[in-house]
Amino acid sequence: MGGAVAKAVVDGVLTGGVYALMAAGLTLIFGVMDIINIAQGILVVLGAYLSYVLSQDLGIGLFLGLLITIPSLFVIGVAVEWAFMRRLQERERTALSILVTYGVAIVIEGILELIFGPNYVQLRAWYVNQSFHVLGFYLPYIYVFGFALAVFLLGVLYLILYRSRFGRSVRASLQDRAAARLVGVNVERVSTITFGIGIAVTAAGGMVFGATNAFNANSGYDLISRLLTIVILGGLGSIGGALGAAVFMTVIEGLVAVLWSPVWATLVFYAALVLVLVIKPVGIFGQRAARAQ
Amino acid sequence: MARAPSEELAGAGPVPRPPGLLVLEGVVAGYGGGDVLRGVSFSVPQGSITCVVGPNGAGKSTVLAAISGILRPRRGDIRFDGRSLVGRTPREILGRGVVQVPQNHSLFREMTVRENIEMGAFTLGDRALARRRLEQVMEMFPVARERARDKAGALSGGQQRLIEFARCLMLDPLLVILDEPSMGLDPRTLRTVFATIRMMHDQGRTILLVEQNARAGLRLSTHGVVLENGVVRLSGSGREVLDNPEIGALYLGGGISAGPTGQHPAGPRSGHEGGSP
Repeated sequence: MGGAVAKAVVDGVLTGGVYALMAAGLTLIFGVMDIINIAQGILVVLGAYLSYVLSQDLGIGLFLGLLITIPSLFVIGVAVEWAFMRRLQERERTALSILVTYGVAIVIEGILELIFGPNYVQLRAWYVNQSFHVLGFYLPYIYVFGFALAVFLLGVLYLILYRSRFGRSVRASLQDRAAARLVGVNVERVSTITFGIGIAVTAAGGMVFGATNAFNANSGYDLISRLLTIVILGGLGSIGGALGAAVFMTVIEGLVAVLWSPVWATLVFYAALVLVLVIKPVGIFGQRAARAQ
Repeated sequence: MARAPSEELAGAGPVPRPPGLLVLEGVVAGYGGGDVLRGVSFSVPQGSITCVVGPNGAGKSTVLAAISGILRPRRGDIRFDGRSLVGRTPREILGRGVVQVPQNHSLFREMTVRENIEMGAFTLGDRALARRRLEQVMEMFPVARERARDKAGALSGGQQRLIEFARCLMLDPLLVILDEPSMGLDPRTLRTVFATIRMMHDQGRTILLVEQNARAGLRLSTHGVVLENGVVRLSGSGREVLDNPEIGALYLGGGISAGPTGQHPAGPRSGHEGGSP
């Protein structure tokens, strides 16, 4: 039992890191643009399929392939922002964005289903199949590699946000768009690039997701539900909150699965959301409403 | 003894005005379908403190939005130092030396005071210059140095206003635009804020402010502009506007006056709002 609990915690932390990365993109987009990107889940699946094609058809390794998939999804993000997001009226942006990004999600899902069919696939590599022994249980290498990748990319995100001029303009837009404009920040450009970055992280998230789960074109729904839960628990717009909430939730889910039953585990995930929204609507990790960093 | 700006102005009233640093000509502008400004013309003389007053909805804030490039006028021209600002982006307008401190608290609450002030130099390419300016500004605003590492959101309303002033000085502006600098401040803080406005003026900057607190604003100013229903009702020296009986009755009467001496409408340089900075 002790080993199973330890495994649940370790699994939870390692998976949580990857969810944290995907959720960070979602919450960053909301923070800067007041946009809730429902397509984030299907874009993770798109990232997974891109990695699948690169590794299966072109023999490019999953991690090396990120050098192609991350920029590709960045470009897709910028295109979606340009085509749809910037046309949304500022006043009703959040509500409209849910509908519009849902539409985008359905289109991407349809295209993926057309190309890849309904069958489940999983990414393959030696580190997906092989495990190592630790704390009395076996752990596939991909969990550790995926976690390391997530930590690395979150570190890059942190450096961009807190150590660069561009990051400063992102944080300024996050906190007060009007004031950011007045000091000369080009908020529209910042929004476009932020949307691109928020989507680009799904390439990495998708690769790890596709290596640790079997997926098909419909896998986006479960993902977006989890990601939304995480960003709401973390406090919408709060990156630090998203990190904490992601790890917290995946660990809780793992523990419930081990100590109780896997059936209850998923339920607990969403029950936590309802509970938090009732008790503390700004999220357990959110300091204030929405615009906290 | 406070250096009341109106003293510099004594006798300046009838003298032909120097050409304005900022000139608005027939500006028509508004949001959505309607025009808030319906042909606004006035000028802000170089080296003046010009105060725009008027009732709610007269278009005071809209004038400022048009000047700073946030709102594009439908007609008319806005010239700064002889060159048009119409169609320029807020960033380009900052580059010309026109900065604005908005009405609502506009500090980035989750950034430190220091970071906030540094944001004032966001458009400045020269980092060494930005560092030197930061030093100068910190020198001018002791509160900025004392609270440099604190989150801006933790400061009091008055302190935040001063940090906003400090931030706007990072570009060493020629024209400082202040939207309702007195709003929400207690009388003591108000004096500090007005004293700081005088300090910026004494440094040779031209100041354009919008004030709901019309009497206090006009006393501080060398020039006044009365806006009503999107047109200029009257403009002149601060004294002229204060002394105009009609205007006094309309806009400066009891209700909106926060001046310490409400009884004399001329408001003869009581100068209580500020001590030396």
